[in-house]
Amino acid sequence: MSATSAQEIRDRALAEIAGARSTSELEQIRVRVLGRSGALTGLLRSLGSLSAGERPRVGEAANRVKRELEDAVGARLEVLRAEERRRLRDADRPDLTLPGRHVEPGAVHPVMRVQDEIIEIFEGLGFSVAEGPEVELDYYNFSALNFPDDHPARDMQDTFHLSADTLLRTHTSPVQIRTMKAQRPPVRVICPGKVYRRDADITHSPMFHQVEGLAVDTDITMGDLKGTLDLFAREMFGARSRIRFRPSFFPFTEPSAEVDVLCFLCGGAGCRVCKQDGWLEILGSGMVHPNVLRNVGYDPEEVTGWAFGMGVERVAMLKYGIDDIRLLFENDLRFLAQFAGAA
Amino acid sequence: MKISTRWLREFAETDRSPAELKSLLVNAGIEVASTAPAAPGLAGAVVAEIEAIERDLGTSRPGHLNRLCRVTTGERRYAVVCGAPNVRPGLRTALAPPGAHLPGGRHIERAMIRGAASEGMLCSERELGIGEDGSGIVELPADAPLGADLVAYLGLDDTLIEVEVTPNRADALSVRGLAREISALTSVALRPLAVDVREGGADASALAAVEILDADLCPRYAARVVTGLAVGPSPPWLAQRLRAAGVRPINNLVDVTNYVLWELGQPLHAFDLDTLRGRRIVVRRARPGERLTTLDDRDRALSPDMLMICDAERPVAVGGVMGGADTEVTPRTTSVLLESACFHPGSIRRTARALGLHTEAAYRFERGTDVESVVVAADRAAQLMADLAGGRVARGAIDRYPVPAARPRIALRPERIQRLIGACPPRAEIIRILRALGFEVADAGSALAVTVPGFRRDTSQEDDLVEEVVRIWGYDKIPATLNPGNQQSVVRRPAGLRTARAVRQALTSSGLTEVVTYSFVDPDRLKQMGCADAVITLQNPQSRERSVLRPALAPGLLEVVGTNLSRQIADVRIFEVGHVFGPHRPEDGDHPAHEELWAGIALTGLRIARAWHTLPAAADVYDAKGGALLVLGAAGVSGVAARPFPPGTGPAYLEPDRAAALEVAGQQIGWFGEVSAAVRDALDLPHPVFLAEVSLSACAEHPAPTPAARPLPRFPAVQRDLAIVVDSGIAAGAVEAAIRAMDVPNLTRLALFDVYQGSQVGTGRRSLAWSLTFQNPQRTLTDQEVNEHHARIVEEISRRFGAEIRGT
Repeated sequence: MSATSAQEIRDRALAEIAGARSTSELEQIRVRVLGRSGALTGLLRSLGSLSAGERPRVGEAANRVKRELEDAVGARLEVLRAEERRRLRDADRPDLTLPGRHVEPGAVHPVMRVQDEIIEIFEGLGFSVAEGPEVELDYYNFSALNFPDDHPARDMQDTFHLSADTLLRTHTSPVQIRTMKAQRPPVRVICPGKVYRRDADITHSPMFHQVEGLAVDTDITMGDLKGTLDLFAREMFGARSRIRFRPSFFPFTEPSAEVDVLCFLCGGAGCRVCKQDGWLEILGSGMVHPNVLRNVGYDPEEVTGWAFGMGVERVAMLKYGIDDIRLLFENDLRFLAQFAGAA
Repeated sequence: MKISTRWLREFAETDRSPAELKSLLVNAGIEVASTAPAAPGLAGAVVAEIEAIERDLGTSRPGHLNRLCRVTTGERRYAVVCGAPNVRPGLRTALAPPGAHLPGGRHIERAMIRGAASEGMLCSERELGIGEDGSGIVELPADAPLGADLVAYLGLDDTLIEVEVTPNRADALSVRGLAREISALTSVALRPLAVDVREGGADASALAAVEILDADLCPRYAARVVTGLAVGPSPPWLAQRLRAAGVRPINNLVDVTNYVLWELGQPLHAFDLDTLRGRRIVVRRARPGERLTTLDDRDRALSPDMLMICDAERPVAVGGVMGGADTEVTPRTTSVLLESACFHPGSIRRTARALGLHTEAAYRFERGTDVESVVVAADRAAQLMADLAGGRVARGAIDRYPVPAARPRIALRPERIQRLIGACPPRAEIIRILRALGFEVADAGSALAVTVPGFRRDTSQEDDLVEEVVRIWGYDKIPATLNPGNQQSVVRRPAGLRTARAVRQALTSSGLTEVVTYSFVDPDRLKQMGCADAVITLQNPQSRERSVLRPALAPGLLEVVGTNLSRQIADVRIFEVGHVFGPHRPEDGDHPAHEELWAGIALTGLRIARAWHTLPAAADVYDAKGGALLVLGAAGVSGVAARPFPPGTGPAYLEPDRAAALEVAGQQIGWFGEVSAAVRDALDLPHPVFLAEVSLSACAEHPAPTPAARPLPRFPAVQRDLAIVVDSGIAAGAVEAAIRAMDVPNLTRLALFDVYQGSQVGTGRRSLAWSLTFQNPQRTLTDQEVNEHHARIVEEISRRFGAEIRGT
């Protein structure tokens, strides 16, 4: 009777376990059969009332049923848990195509972005950065840079005056003078900053940014200027970029050179961007004029140097395909938003 | 400057194409803006004569009487309708017969005009594309060959090169000067300038006298006298060369002076000799009160630093700038005194600027003309006048040249070329180049002895010669090398630049966009914003709207807000980093103005862009404060206190009770707040706008200390919340300061985490809640001692602020 009883418990419990629909239902079954007051537990507890002859056989059978049922519960539990987890996840499935939760970043101004890029390239070449005031003395902006008084060279840079001898700097070149007056050679600096000229059309703004470069040492040649700018152009405009030197005139350099970069749009064949020329003018440069070296107390027989000055807006316009400089200072957010994201 | 390649080839007989010439010039430092055919699109037009006017066809518009003309080309006759006012029998002019092409793609065909068949068209300069005059048909000389192709007859089978010459190269401002460049670049000989003056009659010195009183401003003055002249139109080839250069032909005498100016670069002036009182030229400074009516018929007051050309009594020309009206060549002129002089460049420049007279003559004189070629230019012009106007050149040139200028000599060391350039042409090539450019070279010793001609006074030292040699040799021959420098040094970057970059990164990451506005602002706008004191004003602004240097970033930022709002962009979250300007202070040293680097923020509309996960909320003053704190954090400043401005002390454009100063160690380094309603009304900003401004220059005075690491706590912290309800007027900062002032032991952190205002706490009240952290580095705190501390705080806050505690 007792042995059949264990068998009966087993059969019924297995059927119930197989039919359990949830982990909680399964738990109820487990408690009912295997719990402290469960059917099988009761049976095991009643072994004491059996004869010594029956006890081992019945006990062994009951224990076998217990292990079997425990395994069945465990197996069923795993199945049910997995089912339940799946149901839960199915009910709360995320839409992974929704936008992420973050603040939409703003944009760095394109001119600042390009200016930083230029600074980084030259810092990598071992140039320090120097700055100077935007309101300048005529002396630093012109006289010390070998612009004679009453010379038409001064017309090359139409100047905003504040008084007879103060003005808004027309180029970053006064920083050359300030830097050289403050230190002995060797000098390797770049000088970024705002400059001002009385000019306004689609390629000229009364305020714009320049980066000046200056290297003075005992053996600096125009070849080094060419090599440095060649390296710069390839960093800035791509590895296939090339530059060209053309003679020009700046009062503070001799010899002077305009530097063109091969049009990166057409590769030199001629297009709208380069006005069919194949080349794009990007900066003015040259060997520091001996008068300028003398003005800062350097001896032109001892040291030589090169300098260049480039318009940041010009580079930005070429790089980003901007055809009207005024867009850069209107600050329409729809325009600026195009420059959001990593540089 | 536009010049004809045919003219150029008269001086340097090169067979290079216009495109090749352009490339040669560009690579030698002469910019070429354009090359274009002299008469683009013109073909088939011929010389014709109007034989008769057959009949009037009526007026098609006021002053435009159409007439049917009989026109002949010698070989055949044409019936042509023409409305030009100068149509008259016997006139030789330009006929575009059927089949001819005019500029702009105009194709001429037979046409019915006002009922008459017209076989072609009689043309004006403008219609032919050879000049500006469109008032009537072209008038050709009576000896113009009938039926001749107009392009050939006028020398229009030519290409014009427009060059842009840098201010140092006065020598290149002429056909001969450019020919010299071409000669040096192509090794083609430069035709020597030889003028054969056929003189006759009286000596010039018997007909006129010249005296220089102020030789400092006029080192040389030469004159030629030509008599027996008949003023008339210039021959077509000459008139055409002037038109091509952009000069309007006037008459044969004036045209000759312009022609020689273009050809040789020497400005000339022709006086009507009979109008010069005393037949005398005196070169002197103007006397006080003197006036002169210049050629443009304007009466001008003269100042004593201006150099005048005078006759025996009065000024007759502004020396080197413009002639006077009283003594100019007129149709009745028969004798001229031809002036060819050299003037002090700076003086010419000052005078031209003072009078606002930017003439071709002044343009050249202020760049420096060749003192040596004064006489040859006068000879050339005198002979041309005699040839074209039937005159006779008086014997001898009058030439006043008190102190002849010596030609400078410069030593050029080829090693200097090598040292400056990193390469050097062969010695023979150096010598060839310099000689082709007009320098004399003596090759003796190691250095070359170079003598500078009068037309190259821009060349004053050795490095100038280096440039001359290398630009002709070719900049493409300069090698590209890299000199690493003799000495490695640490790359330095100014603090302002570093901070600006950190600020840019912090603010863009939190959703703000950088703007760059002009440093000059509108003084009226500043006044509207109440910040009009102590600004720096430009002497020569482009407009009043951009005439003073910004004393703060706010005006520019608000302008950008306005621009975007007007373009239907309602949410504006922007910042700018840049200099602001004020009058010089002692600490500025030799910087003429006080400049500070500031960062500014402006916000209006939504706090952040609408997103699915966040309820839209308008930006407010706390966003401005948050932005300011981000800036300060990026600048490495800590320990910042916000102190609401006492009335009347903050920036005038901020709402008085909605603005606070930001202070570090008692120093004000910025502020934030809401733009006042009055300013918004004035600037037409309909919605609330919030600003923050921080002086990055001031931040630099409070550098962040290097962090000192402390060991991590080994004993647990205890958290308690403190939630109170107080009157809305009580500042959270005051409560916080009071708690901190209690110096409660083991209270390590105090953070406000909730602010509530609403029905649950009653009107005029608000709830504030802080999280308090207690921690001791040496031991675990007991609940009891934390409770005691907390109770003390509660008691203090209740007492001081009438706070009501909401649970614990």
